Amino acid sequence: MKKVFRQNEIYVFFIMVVLAIVITSINRYFFTLENFLDLLRGHSFEGILAIGFFIVLLSGGIDVSFTAVAVVGMYLGVLTVVKTGINNIWLAIAVACLVGLILGAINAVFIGVFKIPTLITTLGTLTAFQGGLLSYLQITKQTVISNPPQSIINFGKAVLFRIERPDGKILELSIYGLIFAAVAIITWLILKYTTLGRSIKAMGGNMEAARRAGFNILGTQFFIYCYVGMLAGLAGLMLGSYLRYVDALYLVGNELTIIAAVVLGGASIMGGRGSIIGTVLGVSVITIINTSLVLMKIPSYFQQAVIGMIIVVSVSITAYRQKVRERQVRVLDVD
Amino acid sequence: MIYKNKKVLSLLIFTVLAFILMSILEPSIFLTLRNFQSMTIQIPEFGLLAVGIMVCMLTGGIDLSIVANANLSAIVAAIILTKFAGAESSAGQIMTYAIIILAIITALLVGALCGFINGLLVTQLSITPILATLGTMGLFGGLGLIITKGIGITGFPEQFLIIGTAHPFKVPLVLFIFLAIVLILSFILNRTLFGFNVYMIGANQIAAKFSGININNVLIRVYMTSGIMAGLAAILMIARVNSARSGYAATFLLPAVLVCVLGGINPNGGFGNLTGIVLALSLLQMLQSGFNILGASSFFKNVIWGAMLLIVMVITYFGDRFSKRNIEKRPLKVEKG
Repeated sequence: MKKVFRQNEIYVFFIMVVLAIVITSINRYFFTLENFLDLLRGHSFEGILAIGFFIVLLSGGIDVSFTAVAVVGMYLGVLTVVKTGINNIWLAIAVACLVGLILGAINAVFIGVFKIPTLITTLGTLTAFQGGLLSYLQITKQTVISNPPQSIINFGKAVLFRIERPDGKILELSIYGLIFAAVAIITWLILKYTTLGRSIKAMGGNMEAARRAGFNILGTQFFIYCYVGMLAGLAGLMLGSYLRYVDALYLVGNELTIIAAVVLGGASIMGGRGSIIGTVLGVSVITIINTSLVLMKIPSYFQQAVIGMIIVVSVSITAYRQKVRERQVRVLDVD
Repeated sequence: MIYKNKKVLSLLIFTVLAFILMSILEPSIFLTLRNFQSMTIQIPEFGLLAVGIMVCMLTGGIDLSIVANANLSAIVAAIILTKFAGAESSAGQIMTYAIIILAIITALLVGALCGFINGLLVTQLSITPILATLGTMGLFGGLGLIITKGIGITGFPEQFLIIGTAHPFKVPLVLFIFLAIVLILSFILNRTLFGFNVYMIGANQIAAKFSGININNVLIRVYMTSGIMAGLAAILMIARVNSARSGYAATFLLPAVLVCVLGGINPNGGFGNLTGIVLALSLLQMLQSGFNILGASSFFKNVIWGAMLLIVMVITYFGDRFSKRNIEKRPLKVEKG
């Protein structure tokens, strides 16, 4: 039982419960199935981005370029469908994921082959990717696609099931929720049952030790960044199809929200520690806070400060517990 | 040593090349006093932010909150300026100057205070700088939003705006201010104990601790320095654009970090100096202005920045490998006696 309490995830779950209670007491609409399904539909893409970011963090790195990758993937995916006239959602998905994969591979080359620190690399690629997309679009004078093809719109509307309640309310479980769940489960399986997953955690724990233990560092890094890229492309497409409006200026600049979610969920910035459950919980908490401020009649410009505060507090708690743990182990660590 | 010199050298070469390239392509526009003035007016604000981040990077950390810090300081200063000496107010000459000085000092204080908070988080709570400053970035930015409710503050007194528009000897005043700061900081970093400690902590924190350096003390001062840079940048910013808004210059953060790394600062700490930063700033500014003149999209400069950063890092990688190979070939000098 004690082990359960020491897990970070329990605390996050606790926070979520407390939040739910507080918000519901102010505005009963929060605790309705309708609201939850709505949140799931609108924010699953963030969940997917968070899972991607989590993998990178787990391996001891940081990838801030995922928003740019998502936007580029989204835009090129939809653009392909528009330009070729093939009104097939799978084409868009394939293109978005492929673009994400390639951009991720670019990251991997700089990080894995040229050993450039991950933050620096991804800062550079973030700037370059978005800049590249925008300059290319400026040539065509069009930075938005306001009428995406029907297949894209249908993707946005797709639902798993639909319930019509007698009072006229319609409950729909969007397909986004399914995709999010699938990504979470697949990633969890990879982390838990494959050597790849183990090497990711090993790299995050101690890169040099992982290298000497024989893990394929370069291969793993390629996998990680290509995987993140692919997920980002997919998430971007989801966002674009949900909003039925594709704008090249989406997402970039909002990395903080995703990073906050992952960190809140217990993933250590140093790597090697964290869980999918934690990440999912973290995303839920951040989403709840972001959307419920409005329900609680708190002006939207408080949002940023609240998120910042959350990061500071949650990271402080984690760091403090780390310090306490370290003090209990009296071993002099000579590097 | 090798690291520092190689980077700076290749930077210098790139800068000169860029200058020559731009001069050849559009001499009539590029080589004018006007262009020089417009280029150098943008360097100081951005440069101060880069310098602030640089000092943190030297200790192996980073300050992602510096732009939000600058915005917050700008907003507070702006409130003082407009409340007591705004365009419509009836304050006399002396009063106006007093208010201006008050606003400037306040901006610096707010910057230093925010930096102090960063320092506390990093030292007392042992939060890694990336996360700590990520959080404070949201916090400071959010505070700025709450105070201004998203609306910009405008209407500063004429006497204050002179800071942004004055051109003594045809050179922008802000450039002089920036160069003065660079000289002061260079002195601090290279010739004082504090500066020495900064480099030592960056090079090897554990060794520094065992050498008796008070890590917490130095780190807090480092982040406060970054905060003061933010405050200074704030003053220059609002003097130039005559308004203060939350979220302004948000796009400056990434390029500022880029400039630091481009300028030869090792992100793991311990190496790098201001010469590199100044060179990197000049290089990027020239490329930006040059591309503007050539009519390239303003977003294209982002591609160039990102690409430049990656290119320089790759060159450094090869440079390091090359010099390591050379070291192995050099015969060992054995001292007799």
